[in-house]
Amino acid sequence: MASSAVRTSAPGAPTETKAPVSTAGLIPGILLLAVVGYAGKFIEHFIAAYGKAHHLVLPNIEYVLWAILIGLAISNTIGVPGIFRSGVATYEFWLKAGIVLLGARFLLGDVRRLGGVSLILIAIELVLALTFMTYLGRAFKLKPKLVTLLAVGSSICGVSAIIAAQGAIDADEEDSSYAIAAILLLGTISLFLFPLVGHVLHLSDHAYGLWAGLAVDNTAEATAAGALYSDAAGKIAVLAKTCRNATIGFVVLGYAIYWASKGQAEQVKNKGAFLWRKFPKFVLGFLLVSLLATVGFFTKPQLVAVGNLSRWAFLLTFAGVGLRTNLRELSKQGARPFIVGAVGEIVIAVITLGLVFGADHLFHL
Amino acid sequence: MSQPSPVRRLSLDTVSLDTWAVLLAFAAVLLVRFGVLKNIPW
Repeated sequence: MASSAVRTSAPGAPTETKAPVSTAGLIPGILLLAVVGYAGKFIEHFIAAYGKAHHLVLPNIEYVLWAILIGLAISNTIGVPGIFRSGVATYEFWLKAGIVLLGARFLLGDVRRLGGVSLILIAIELVLALTFMTYLGRAFKLKPKLVTLLAVGSSICGVSAIIAAQGAIDADEEDSSYAIAAILLLGTISLFLFPLVGHVLHLSDHAYGLWAGLAVDNTAEATAAGALYSDAAGKIAVLAKTCRNATIGFVVLGYAIYWASKGQAEQVKNKGAFLWRKFPKFVLGFLLVSLLATVGFFTKPQLVAVGNLSRWAFLLTFAGVGLRTNLRELSKQGARPFIVGAVGEIVIAVITLGLVFGADHLFHL
Repeated sequence: MSQPSPVRRLSLDTVSLDTWAVLLAFAAVLLVRFGVLKNIPW
């Protein structure tokens, strides 16, 4: 990252592309991510140690929630000063690096087995989400391309899918801004609701992780929602979400061809190149590290070390999830896209929960 | 009158965030594998 144009996914101005930022310019924000994430870890340990010392049974709240809450508190009170913003925007970079490193904690057989079940569920979720969101958007008389962006965002992978689709279907910046705001706000709400529902229903780590990976749209929030439940649930959530991410190119290509046929987007000349451009490369990285772990490239202590590196990368990500969420800016984006998104998300969450129960019953996950 | 070359040059800026993340992760993996990074605590 010698020099890069940092695209902020900050709600309110989600599609804004800032001027190129030097690597040194990223350091303050990355340090802030580290401080907020580590503060979350410190609070988790402090509460556990305090409970032990005073013979108290205190709830074990994972550092993930503390990091997100501290980030939310900063971003929604004093705000994130300009000097930190470009570095904070790197949280998605750490998320992707963390997912690649997480491959060391999966043997390829696990990936194939879990990924197989996930792929079947994802195919069902994808068709349901695309159909339902399209129907709902039309019923609420949203603009057709905004409907497409909301459908893509809620069925595949949130912000990345919306950004990928925006360019491919020549959608307005304003439309993608609405869609991203709706997906991010709903993602933030799901961070708090999903673990609660999981505990109330006594879901296993596996079933909960699969549900979070299927129903939470943005990859960072899906990873956090899984990790908030347990470490094992976090792993499964990432795997299911990664399978969902892998479909991004195909769905965006379908929509690009559809809008081009209506004369409202550019024709796709080379479909293979289009798919490769849109395909999330970190999915390949994850599979390659998993393959290396499977063929014995690492010793056991090395696998632990790589797994821990992935945890540190996720710590930066979770801090960024809180720091980039400005609830006031999100609420300014208008009610209708949010209502469509919320109704769609609730229906998708309930259906995917049913799918996960069914898969658990059939395949004994 | 020379025309600008149509050949696209690969520069650091043309590499996507995705690819950078994968490269960094693999660099870390190799450092662990070949013993440069040991005992990463959590």
